[in-house]
Amino acid sequence: MLAEVQSEASSASGAVSSTVIARVTARKAVRSGFGWGLVFGFYVATQALAYATSYPTVASRELLVQEFGSNPGVSALVGPATQLDTVPGYTAWKCLAVLAITAAVWGILSSTRLTRGEEDAGRWELLLAGQTTRRGAAIQALVGMAAGLVVLFITSGVIIVATGRRSDIGMGTSGALFLALAIVVGAAMFSALGALAGQLSSTRRQASGYASALLGASYAIRMVADSDTSLGWLRWLSPLGWIEELQPLTRPNPLALVPIAVLTAAAVALTVYLAGRRDLGASTLPDRSSSKAHLRLLSGQAGLALRLMRPTLVSWAAAIIAYGLLLGSIAKSGGKIMTSSPSMQLVFERLGVTGAEAYLGFALLVMAMALCFVAAGQISATRTEESSGRLEYLLVRPLSRTSWLGCRVALATGILVAGGLLAGLSTWAGAAANHAGVRFSPMIGASMNVVPPALLLLGVGVAVYGALPRVAVSVTYAVLVWSLLVEITSGVVNVNHWMIDTSMFHQMAAAPSVPVDWTTNAVMVAIGALSALLGLAAFARRDLKGE
Amino acid sequence: MASHAIKTFALTKRFGDTEALKDLDLEVSEGEVVGILGPNGAGKTTLIRLLLGLLIPSGGRAEIFGLDCHSQTVEGHRRLAYVAGESNLWPTLTGAETLHLLGQVQGRVDTQYREVLVERFELDVTKKVRALSKGNRQKLSLVAALMTRADLLVLDEPTSGLDPLMEQAFRTCIAEARVHGQSVLLSSHILSEVEVLCDRIGILRAGVLVEMGTLAEMRHLSALTVEATFDGAVPDLSRVPGVTMVEVLGSSVKCQVNGTVEPLLRVLADSGVRELLSREPSLEELFLAHYGSASTGQSDASNAR
Repeated sequence: MLAEVQSEASSASGAVSSTVIARVTARKAVRSGFGWGLVFGFYVATQALAYATSYPTVASRELLVQEFGSNPGVSALVGPATQLDTVPGYTAWKCLAVLAITAAVWGILSSTRLTRGEEDAGRWELLLAGQTTRRGAAIQALVGMAAGLVVLFITSGVIIVATGRRSDIGMGTSGALFLALAIVVGAAMFSALGALAGQLSSTRRQASGYASALLGASYAIRMVADSDTSLGWLRWLSPLGWIEELQPLTRPNPLALVPIAVLTAAAVALTVYLAGRRDLGASTLPDRSSSKAHLRLLSGQAGLALRLMRPTLVSWAAAIIAYGLLLGSIAKSGGKIMTSSPSMQLVFERLGVTGAEAYLGFALLVMAMALCFVAAGQISATRTEESSGRLEYLLVRPLSRTSWLGCRVALATGILVAGGLLAGLSTWAGAAANHAGVRFSPMIGASMNVVPPALLLLGVGVAVYGALPRVAVSVTYAVLVWSLLVEITSGVVNVNHWMIDTSMFHQMAAAPSVPVDWTTNAVMVAIGALSALLGLAAFARRDLKGE
Repeated sequence: MASHAIKTFALTKRFGDTEALKDLDLEVSEGEVVGILGPNGAGKTTLIRLLLGLLIPSGGRAEIFGLDCHSQTVEGHRRLAYVAGESNLWPTLTGAETLHLLGQVQGRVDTQYREVLVERFELDVTKKVRALSKGNRQKLSLVAALMTRADLLVLDEPTSGLDPLMEQAFRTCIAEARVHGQSVLLSSHILSEVEVLCDRIGILRAGVLVEMGTLAEMRHLSALTVEATFDGAVPDLSRVPGVTMVEVLGSSVKCQVNGTVEPLLRVLADSGVRELLSREPSLEELFLAHYGSASTGQSDASNAR
């Protein structure tokens, strides 16, 4: 990547090279924006189509309204459900909150990566020694990110508009575009806030932390606002509340774009102002650069890895617990809808599962997906230790490559199993609190059922890392995103079963609604373990490679 | 057999089409301090990374205390400490945490000596690595390696980024290591550093060890560059003993002197010299003088990690 920047800087001359930061940033932002635009677009399409096919009759839709339309718990979590009896109303409710938050997280991660991350890696130093000022560099990076946002909007917008044209969906073009806009403004606001946080803090991680705290606060405020109608005014204090106030597809209210635009513009302006006032690599806020020594974990490489991963693991654990509680608490209503048709009820009765368990069988797929992201993150963290040169400090000491990588794989396996348990237990707890009739032991089985796809992905990642370290991270994420896309689309479109079989998630049994398929799980784990062993062998026989 | 700290047998490393190291045979005896000199891209870092087992040889092999560098890395590394030219430590750990961790992984630390080193290098160990300057990170790396009192120190341009005072502290440490009977392999492109510290010096050029010997044996390499400006006519210096590469530019002259400068000084003093400048030739100039200009333009294979 450095070489890329260097060659751009040296090949282009004069006026051309002065926009190199904008172009490099734009290239990365556009690539990512396109990919996530596809994910967002297909997510909306899936939800709309699934609703249209699952609830074709007025009666079935009314049942849905009864269950969710006035459920304050659900309303607090993902916003109030209005017009659940129409496809656009359901789609907006099901997609807006989830995708706006996802977009906001994307905005934070990509903007801190493309601004503070590039600066931390020392790539800007090279360019700033040339013709660009610090302020100019910040403006260019912001312009590059804006290009990514435009592509995110266009990609997701095109798919949503195309979906809306189906007669059984019936979303107008302007309505569909307004939904896409409502999602993308979440990314825009938090990209700007992420860039601002990058000016205030001294590392990328710290910047992401500040921006994520803002996102968490705005989610919490919106949650309170939606839990009680008398507190609705609070929504105007939260950026996520403004997005909700846009009410796309139901009662569009463009007025809510005003605070969104003001916040984004203010954050951008402040970013540019601060960028010119601080030193490269320094922070605006005072930085805690000294600390007492905390040696408890640092007695070896395993402890070091845990210590370095701790912040990430804590946030994943919090997210999994929160989502588990949410799934558990809506399982009862979800189950009632699933078993509303007598024929389905008969099927589940024959299988000996309750409605809530049937619902969770499908809902827990999301946990399997989340654990796969954790697994991919482990591969990425492993590779970073090597590419940054830090691994050498361990490997020039009496520590073999096999024990280093083996220890990381073992740790990652433990983390994934713990994650699965956490997912199962929190879901069970959420369900138990709502007396949803979810039994404990099937949930423990189900919680172990979400782990094998992640272990398979981990093994494949280790194999690629062992043999071709420079592409390991991209290949791992590519396998993951491919599986996600196949899984999401196969629910709606008729896809060739050979293609569906390439998705790890498709191999998973929908426990606890059906018994766990331990044979398939064992095969997945075995393939993962075998791949990991191959990766370990290859790693011991290759050169260490930097970026 | 184990009287060698380092021994390589026709050690070869290729990166794609580039041959970074060709059939290299190098021996470092126990207790010996050996310097490896060479311009950028000569293969110094490649050699060291092969010795550490971070790279896998394309041909030949290397031993540390009779232990194979590729198949017996763990045993070899118990007796070795390494400092790289660039310190990429964990940014969120403090200096004290870093030293503790690396000591634990190494499994052997002279804690008393560690405190001496921390003091000597004026290191603030409460600071997080990310808040340290390049030079301070380098000092942290040095302390982490030296505190183990390893039998063999492998140092790859260890003083990059250090100020002159700290460079002095580093030289003290190497002198102590010598007294302790530790062996040292020091790669550098700073001639004076190697001259002061090393028993034997090897010169690496384009992946080949072109010279290897004691300082006395290498004396023919250490020419002095002298530039003089005269009031009157420039005298003919080409016949003065020890003087080579005479270049006349108007009223000034530039030449190289091998061995004693006395004959040259006598001629200069008699010819009405107005300004006199003398300096040790850079390594680059030595290479140019000894191997012709073709020797330096090699690709930077040592940067290929």
